[in-house]
Amino acid sequence: MSMMLLLRQIRLFSQVELSRLWLTRRGLMTLAATAVVWFFLLRYAIAPASEILQEPNFQKSLTAMFGMLGLHQLLNWPAPELTLYWMLSLILLPILCLAFTANQLSGDAARGTLRFISLRSSRTAIVLGRFCGQLVVQLCLILLSLSATLIISAVRQGSISWQAIEAALLISCHLLIVLMPFTALMTVFSAWARSSRLALSLAIVSLGLVFGLLSWLIYHQPDAAFLLKYMPGAQIWQLIPAQGWQSLQLAALPLAQTAVLLLIAQQILSRRAL
Amino acid sequence: MTNPIIKVDQLVKSYGRHRVLNNISFEINKGETVALIGQNGAGKTTLFSLLCGYLKADSGSMQLLGEQPGSQALFGKVAALPQDAQLDPAFSIGEQLSFYGKLQGLTTRAARAETERVLALVDLAGHYHTKAGALSHGMRKRACMAQAFIGSPALILLDEPTAGLDPANALHIRELISDLSQHASFLISSHNIFELERLCNKVLYLQDGQLQQHHAQPNESTAHLSLQLATGNGAAAADADEVCQQLRQLAGVKEVTAGRNQEYQVSYQPQVVDDFDIRLLQCLAANGWQYKQLSKGKSLEQQLFARKQAATVLS
Repeated sequence: MSMMLLLRQIRLFSQVELSRLWLTRRGLMTLAATAVVWFFLLRYAIAPASEILQEPNFQKSLTAMFGMLGLHQLLNWPAPELTLYWMLSLILLPILCLAFTANQLSGDAARGTLRFISLRSSRTAIVLGRFCGQLVVQLCLILLSLSATLIISAVRQGSISWQAIEAALLISCHLLIVLMPFTALMTVFSAWARSSRLALSLAIVSLGLVFGLLSWLIYHQPDAAFLLKYMPGAQIWQLIPAQGWQSLQLAALPLAQTAVLLLIAQQILSRRAL
Repeated sequence: MTNPIIKVDQLVKSYGRHRVLNNISFEINKGETVALIGQNGAGKTTLFSLLCGYLKADSGSMQLLGEQPGSQALFGKVAALPQDAQLDPAFSIGEQLSFYGKLQGLTTRAARAETERVLALVDLAGHYHTKAGALSHGMRKRACMAQAFIGSPALILLDEPTAGLDPANALHIRELISDLSQHASFLISSHNIFELERLCNKVLYLQDGQLQQHHAQPNESTAHLSLQLATGNGAAAADADEVCQQLRQLAGVKEVTAGRNQEYQVSYQPQVVDDFDIRLLQCLAANGWQYKQLSKGKSLEQQLFARKQAATVLS
C-alpha cells in the first residue's frame, strides 16, 4: 500500500473518531462523563490540595521525606494545580484508557461494518487509523481537562504565566506518550475479541497474569527484575519527578512498546475472518 | 476471446473437519451476470467471503480482475453486499457512505455527490441524515446495497440482495441490478429462483461444497415451453393425462411432463415447425382449456432441480 494512501486513510479514520466524540450521542456522553469526573477532581481534590502544596512547612516535609526519590521535584512545576494534575493523570489515565479505547475494532467486526470498510482499505490502515483516532480523541480530552486546570490556577493566582502554559503542553505530550502502549494494547485485544467488554476483560486479566507471573519469577529469580522495566507504563514512576522537555527521552520505551503491539494487532486482524 | 473477471481454481475451504468448499473451479467473464444457487449450508456465503477477502482459503487460487482478493488494486473496483453486515448505527447513512467514498479516493465534495446519487438509486434520497439505527430493516438493507454502487465498480457481489425486502422494493432492486448490469459484472446469491432467472445469464449451482452445474443457458436443438393452465373463474380443471396426450400429438413434440398445479413442460424440435407456440395455443382453444401462463424455455427451477427430484422419486 502506498504511503500517501495509507496516511490519507489514517487521517480519514481519525476524523471519524473525532466525529464520534463530538457529534454522536455516545461521544457526548463520554465528554459529559469526563467533565463530571474532572469537575470533582478539580473542585474537591486539586484546588484544596494546591493550597496545601504551597505551604512552606508541607514543602519542607515533602523534601525531607521523599528527597531521595526526587519527588520534591514535583514542587518545581510552575503551578501547584499542574503538580496535582500531573500526578493524578499519570495514575488514573492509563486505567481509564483501557476502558475508553476497548471498542476500536471489535464492535465493527461483530456488526459486519468492517466488511464494508475492508473492501476500500487495507487492514493495516484500519488498525493504524483506529489507533490514531483514539489517540486524537484522548488528546482532546487531555487538553480540555488541562485547560480547566489552568483556568483554576489562573483564578487562584489572578493571572496565568507562559511557564504554566509550556508546562501544560509538556504534560499533554507526556500523557499522550504514556497512553500510547495502553491504547495499542487495546487495539490488540479489540482486534481479537468479539466485543469491547470481552476485550477489556482480556486486557485486565492478561495484565494481571503477566504481573503475577513476573512477581513469582522475580521472587525466585531476582535477576529477572529487569523484565518489569519492559511492561506498559513502567516509565511512569520515573516520570513523576521528571521536569522539562529533556524528560521526553523516557519516551523511547513506550514508543517501542506501541510499535510492537500495533504490529501484533495488524497480524491478528489480517488473519481474522471478517 | 473471453476476459475472465473472476477466476477460481481448485478452491478448498474447511471449517474444522467440515469441508465447505471442495475443489471449486469456475470463471466469470466480463459483463456476465451470474447466479450463485445452493441450499442452506451449501457454501455460498463462504464463497462470497473468500472472493471479498474476508476469509482465507485453505488451498486453491482466486483472482478478481487479475488480482488477489483483498488487494489494494481492487479498492473501489470490487464492491459487495455481504450477508447480515450492518452500517454503524451511531452515524447517519449519508456520513458513512461519504466516508466510504473518501476511502475510495473521492474528494469530500465528490463523495457527498456520489452518496446522494447512490442513495437515490435505492430510493433513499431523503435519508442522507438519517441514522442507520433509525431505519427499518428494509431501508437498512437498501442503504447497505447503496454502498456497493459507490464509484464505478467493475464487479459487484451481492449476497441475498432482496432478502427481507417488500415486493415493491425487491422489484425496484431487481430493475436496478438489471440496469447496472450494462456497466458492471454481477455475482448474485439468492434463494429466489424467479429473481435469478430474470437477472442472470449464467448459473453456479453449489451443492455439498461442490459446483454441481456451471453453465450458460444453453442453445439446444430441443426447445422448451413452460405452460400453466388456468383453473377457477369458470375454467374447468383439465385432466393432466388428457392434456399430455393432446399435446403429444402436436408436430415436433418430443416430451410432455405434467407437474403440480396444472403445470406442464413441453419439449419440442423447433426445426420441425416454426409456429409451434401458435399450434399449441390452437390445441388449447380446441379443447376449451384456458392458459394462465406460457413461457419459452425451461424455468431455472426445472433446469436445476427437476433431475434431482426425478432421481429422488426413482430411488
